[in-house]
Amino acid sequence: MKLKLLLLLMVFVPIGLMAQGPITGTVTSSGDGAPLPGASVIIKGTTTGTTTDFDGNYKLNSVTSDATLVISFIGFITIEVPVNGQSRIDAVLQEDAQQLDEVVLTGYSAERKIDLTGAVTVVDIAPIEGQSLSSGNAMQALQGRVGGLFIEKSGDPTGLSSRILIRGLTTLGNNDPLYVIDGVPTKRQEVFASLNPATIESIQVLKDASASSIYGSRAANGVIVVTTKGGEKGERLSVSFNSNLSQQSERKQRYDMLNSQQRGEALWRASVNDGADPNAGYGEIYNFNWNNDFSNPVLNGVSVQPFVGGDSNVPVGDTNWQDELYKTGYVYNNELTVSTGTEKSSLLINLGYLKNTGMLKYTGYDRYTAKINGTTKLFNDKVKFGVNTQISTSNETLVSGDVGGAPTTGLSITLAPTIPVYDANDEFAGPLGAGYSDRNNPLLMQYLNRWDNATKNNFFGNVFAEINILDNLTFRSSLGLDFSDFKKKNIEPKVFNGFVTRSNNRLIYDTNKFSTISFSNTLNYKLELGKHRFGALLGIESIREDFDTIFAQADEFAVEQESYFVLSAATGARTNNGISTQYSLASQFGKLNYAYDDKYLASFTIRRDGSSRFGANNRYGIFPAATVGWRISQEEFLKDSNLISNLKIRAGYGEVGNQEIGNTARYGLYESRYGQNQAQLTGGFFEIYYNVGTAYDINGNNTGTLPSGFVSTQASNQNLKWETTKEWNYGIDFGFLENRISGSFDYFTRETTDILTTPPIASVIGEGQQRVLNGAATSAKGWELNVGYSNTWDNGFSLGVSTNFGAFKDEITFLPEEVRAAFPGTAQNSILGQSQTAIFGYRTNGLFQSQAEVDAHPTGGVQTGNARPGGIKIVDTDNNGIIDSNDRDFIGNTLPDLEYGIRLDVGYKNFDLSIFGSGVAGRIGVDSYMFWNNFVQGRDNAGLGVLNAWTPQNTSSNIPSLSLVNNFTDTSDYIFRNNSYFKIRNMQVGYSLPADVISKMAGMTGLRIYLQGENLFWFTPKGYIGSDPERIDVNRIPVPTVYSVGLNINF
Amino acid sequence: MKYNHKIIASVICATLLLTACSDNYLEYEPEGVLSSENVATAENAESLVIAAYAGIANDEMIGPLTHQWVFGSVRSDDAYKGGGGRGDVDVIDKYEQYNLTIADMGDWMAPRTWTDFYKAISRANFALSVINDIPDGEYAQKTTRQAELRFLRAHSHFMLKLIFKKIPYITENLTQEEIGQMSNDVDNDALWNTIAEDFLFAYENLPQAQEQVGRADRNAAAAYLAKLRLFQAYEQNDQHQVTSINTGRLQEVIDYADKVIGNLQPDFGENFLDGFDNGPESIWAAQFSINDGTTVGRVSFVTGLNSPHGTGLYGCCGFHLASQNMVNSFKTDANGLPLFDTFNNSDIFTNIDTNGTTPPDSGLSVDPRIDHTVGIPGRPFKYRNTVNDSGDMVYNFSWARDPGVYGYFGNMKEQQAPDCSCYVKEGPFVGTSKNVDFIRYADVLLWKAEALIQLNRWDEALPLINQVRNRAAASTQRPIDAGAADIYAISPYSSFPSKDYALKALMFERRLEFAMEGHRWYDLVRWGIAEETLNAYLAEEKTKRDFLANAQFTAGRDEYYPIPQREIDFTGGLYVQNPGY
Repeated sequence: MKLKLLLLLMVFVPIGLMAQGPITGTVTSSGDGAPLPGASVIIKGTTTGTTTDFDGNYKLNSVTSDATLVISFIGFITIEVPVNGQSRIDAVLQEDAQQLDEVVLTGYSAERKIDLTGAVTVVDIAPIEGQSLSSGNAMQALQGRVGGLFIEKSGDPTGLSSRILIRGLTTLGNNDPLYVIDGVPTKRQEVFASLNPATIESIQVLKDASASSIYGSRAANGVIVVTTKGGEKGERLSVSFNSNLSQQSERKQRYDMLNSQQRGEALWRASVNDGADPNAGYGEIYNFNWNNDFSNPVLNGVSVQPFVGGDSNVPVGDTNWQDELYKTGYVYNNELTVSTGTEKSSLLINLGYLKNTGMLKYTGYDRYTAKINGTTKLFNDKVKFGVNTQISTSNETLVSGDVGGAPTTGLSITLAPTIPVYDANDEFAGPLGAGYSDRNNPLLMQYLNRWDNATKNNFFGNVFAEINILDNLTFRSSLGLDFSDFKKKNIEPKVFNGFVTRSNNRLIYDTNKFSTISFSNTLNYKLELGKHRFGALLGIESIREDFDTIFAQADEFAVEQESYFVLSAATGARTNNGISTQYSLASQFGKLNYAYDDKYLASFTIRRDGSSRFGANNRYGIFPAATVGWRISQEEFLKDSNLISNLKIRAGYGEVGNQEIGNTARYGLYESRYGQNQAQLTGGFFEIYYNVGTAYDINGNNTGTLPSGFVSTQASNQNLKWETTKEWNYGIDFGFLENRISGSFDYFTRETTDILTTPPIASVIGEGQQRVLNGAATSAKGWELNVGYSNTWDNGFSLGVSTNFGAFKDEITFLPEEVRAAFPGTAQNSILGQSQTAIFGYRTNGLFQSQAEVDAHPTGGVQTGNARPGGIKIVDTDNNGIIDSNDRDFIGNTLPDLEYGIRLDVGYKNFDLSIFGSGVAGRIGVDSYMFWNNFVQGRDNAGLGVLNAWTPQNTSSNIPSLSLVNNFTDTSDYIFRNNSYFKIRNMQVGYSLPADVISKMAGMTGLRIYLQGENLFWFTPKGYIGSDPERIDVNRIPVPTVYSVGLNINF
Repeated sequence: MKYNHKIIASVICATLLLTACSDNYLEYEPEGVLSSENVATAENAESLVIAAYAGIANDEMIGPLTHQWVFGSVRSDDAYKGGGGRGDVDVIDKYEQYNLTIADMGDWMAPRTWTDFYKAISRANFALSVINDIPDGEYAQKTTRQAELRFLRAHSHFMLKLIFKKIPYITENLTQEEIGQMSNDVDNDALWNTIAEDFLFAYENLPQAQEQVGRADRNAAAAYLAKLRLFQAYEQNDQHQVTSINTGRLQEVIDYADKVIGNLQPDFGENFLDGFDNGPESIWAAQFSINDGTTVGRVSFVTGLNSPHGTGLYGCCGFHLASQNMVNSFKTDANGLPLFDTFNNSDIFTNIDTNGTTPPDSGLSVDPRIDHTVGIPGRPFKYRNTVNDSGDMVYNFSWARDPGVYGYFGNMKEQQAPDCSCYVKEGPFVGTSKNVDFIRYADVLLWKAEALIQLNRWDEALPLINQVRNRAAASTQRPIDAGAADIYAISPYSSFPSKDYALKALMFERRLEFAMEGHRWYDLVRWGIAEETLNAYLAEEKTKRDFLANAQFTAGRDEYYPIPQREIDFTGGLYVQNPGY
């Protein structure tokens, strides 16, 4: 190509003019002919050069006529043009389909993308830019886009994901990935979540151990490497403004529940099936008119009693609690980016504001973010200083619980419809009289908790210096800080709500401070010797994390006003608690890259990590990795192939460590627990009432300060050592037809040994004798496939299709005998060989249709109460004629066998359209709606399905005959069903104003408006009855359906 | 270039320095906690004993240690589970219906009780192991504290034995490995003796009374030995059936009971009222406190589910409700004596007025203890008729949570008035600082009476039983002052015509005196009459309460709870399961 150009120039350009003079020209893109502002034009062999202006024009003074210009722009193929005496040189740059020189950061040093030999997905940022992030979480943009990256969302206004897994599960404990943002590591999801996509330069997902090993400890679950943008290059100011407004609704995700009248019918049916008089059980709520014949029951009619609990102040209601608790939510998300730079310095400032009004009433979230990145060069550009900062401050009010701690989200499904929202005096109504659950009006509870909030202040960033010691030797030093300040205020006013009351009020502050300081120093060396290219890296890193908590609580406030709830105003009992803890890591690492002739690639890394969590003998872990690659497409026999434009095969092996245990896990510890309850240690509902303290009223005074002692809280294990994951990865990258079709395939196998677990122990061993062990091993294998197609036709029509698939299978391969009982399974049928997400339960086989069928079926155990016509038939798996707990078996896994995503981009002239869908297949899960739709639970409302339950007259139903006492809700394939799905997650239509229109607006370079819909449709298997299959916990706010309108403006 | 070399050199130095420093950098001593060496010192001995005491009262609402309403009352003919229908805390429903047929029964109740008692045992053993190593001269209370700790350890094992029968006995000289290899398959009589050894050590080494009333003393040890020997006297086979009664053990019961110094409270109700903790009747009790610097007070929540549910004065959840059978048992005849065989022929307090009360039938007479024990519509609750104008304290039909299933009678002994300074409501549940008595002096009197009757000395038992009855007879003022209709009639027995009669009188007296205190079940199993009593009870009671329709007691299985399956699993199948599970 270059040769051809040179020949052309030699033919047409007269030779021999060696004069000096100015040169001007315009640099444009070959694709659309648009000017390329900011392209670099440099005289070869010198540092003299310039960049193009807004219109792609440049001017160079005093260029000798024999000079050669090097013209480059990111994402385009660099060209060299001999001047040959011309005074005007216009250049047309070809887009670089192969992105030959695209450089990505993968572990303390930059590498050319084409040189990568590990399983690294470089996320395509383009489609994420300008996308509405209705959750305010950058992670939302990655869901379904990266093969092997599994993300479960929640509908909380904070937008945080409930689970993020790279290549499934590695260990038995914490499986969170490591984030490395501008070189600073963190395990905190919210740091990544608060990044504005407009400031993200690149995201690399390091999936296998050979790629992540350089990050050593904490990298075992994969690494997400993020680089944020610096400022503009060249003397230029760029301003971009993105704004969007989203409307959120959970209406499609709701469960259909019974109205007051229907609930009466269901309760009647369930009561008479049980042989119980429905008027005795529910006579205070309903008046059942029936024939009183249990052998052939007929309901003539059911009427709702006019008052709740007979209280004439509380007329009965017909409440749809989901209607009452939820409203349409709105998200406003605005961000402004200003970026500028000179030859020496650059600066980027990004400000963002997000407000989510919440769908659940009285909830909400708002967040301010600020980012300032700046660099400057000194000493002849030999030294570069820089700073990257990410600041966020947020305020949230989330789901509340009732007096008994039940979340209002769940209550909006389960609370009886006969309770009205308000009574006759316009006060909030509650349960009264017999037949109701001990639960409060959830709207009241949300209202009473409207003053609750949690504020989070995060500061994340680093300062760094890069020194070019030699041309090819760079020293970099970076000091990073990850800091968070958390303060949660919980005001618990008095509650008078039917018979569920709270007679005291209380203020609880739960605060903590977290800070991690990381200090890393690296030396990077690059060397080219002919066809040999070497890269070497040496580094050290130290990380220290501090965590402190202060918990304070006070009772009895004379006035229930928000402003009066401060700790000092309380007149009642006070409690405070707090802990301080710390850990540190010290590491040394090195990397060696080698490439020969751009064909043969090899890379070796080694890292030595020391962790304060381990004792002196086992403190250090050494984690090596090696990879090789062969770019077959560079070989002579393929170089000129029209079909194959890129082909690379890769293989790698790596080891990574895990130390995700408590900071003091190896010690035998005793604590003074004056009056703690178990909930303060582990949480839990009944645990609040479980005193685990060491104080005792030995004097029988009934009050006053008590004498107290000590209790063991943890047994020691001085032999605790690193958990290690070893992984093999084999990959192939390919591109066909000038890379119009491109993709990659990776296959991996992984073994994790010495897994850190805290197994339960026999109670006789005593209190606080549990300890952390290196106690288990798992293996996993899987593959990922990414295939994409993209093309642009001459008429301006462009089409892109990209797909990704990830498959994963894990297996527990070793568990010490004494640990097995802590896992599902039995001694005869243990979890060994199963996934750690395996579900162990009964198999069922439809419903009994007749008494004869019941009599012929084995009974016992859980079958006992369900041995009735219309009852669920439980399979006698071991064929011993008795149903017992040995009939349970492994019935499936909750992690999917396959995850996949597909994205379609269509562009025509100024319009763009994208559709993105993703799904999972091959998993089972609790279909939460089942508990209400297929069963009647006396105190809860039920779903519409119970009206179609099995009766002798309605035998085709798969919903068991109703009962208040015999509901088979044990773990079984009746409850755990295939909950695979495919979802259209995102559809977006955009329109960019034509260049000739916007150029008339002051300096504007781009203006695009778009409409977007999210979580629009989903497809679920037959037998799945719930709504959104991503809704696996009824106590979380559902993942909403969102419609957005947005604007992107660039100057 | 020289300049550059300097930089390289200093960078390398910094690298080396940091590496060398890193061992220091990685040292971290835990904060706010102690190591075993810090704790196991003579200075801490007293504190460790306190922690061991706390252990026996570290109750869970779903794993009781002190009050035995779940295991001892609901499972007997005294009470129903209550709550919001059968499914509410359904594990107790399984206990009540004798429907617990598999050992794998989840986590609540019996499995947690097992765990929590062994936690208490480990606290006592740790304190013992520290104290054993302190030279005698350096710790004046050494022997006393050793005796207290062995008492505490024996107490926990005793309770476990009543519930599970076959249990491993853990002592302080066992290593962790040895503890892990202790089987529960030990001879029944030998296990009683092992527990007795610890109580004997306590009996021989404790002072008669301790200045700090919460501590175990010689009095408590004597009472516990009387109790233990009484249970031991009724010898059981492997199917839990009583095969013989050991007269030697019965004599020990009498001997130890005679060593107990105590007295009955003047009024029966004072045993269940704040302000009378550690009185003359309280021989051995769990101490609770309030306003003591802990979050809500170190109060007892073990009966926290059991408050009357339908009134705003209390909280949740209406559990532990008197059975109709037990209410009927308080009927007395014209002579003021109980109706041994005919009490259940008719039901009392069944006519519900529109105002939610149940006026007594004319001519009805009852033992006054009913108004200290049961919430009855129309009768004052906890000797009150109002609470500071904030509510009516007369028990009402509307206080019942699920009358269609469980009727409308409530429990009273474990409740306190809502304006009591001992009362705290945390979330929906009520806790109180009222002590939970393990042994009341009335118990000691009746153990001795029982032993005497079984030894054919029923004449000597008569005054003991009458002592209890006379106190009951003198306990009418509180309810009457609160407005209760005086329908009381109670008299002492004039004589016992036969051993059989005396035994019936003793058994009936125990039921009335300790109704709903959680002893009834253990009495029935001790006497070997659980099956006949409970199946007869169920046959009648199920005609009044539908929910008992399928309940059936199975002898040889239901006398004890299954060993928690997880404990068998965690010890690699070391424990033997009780028969039938």
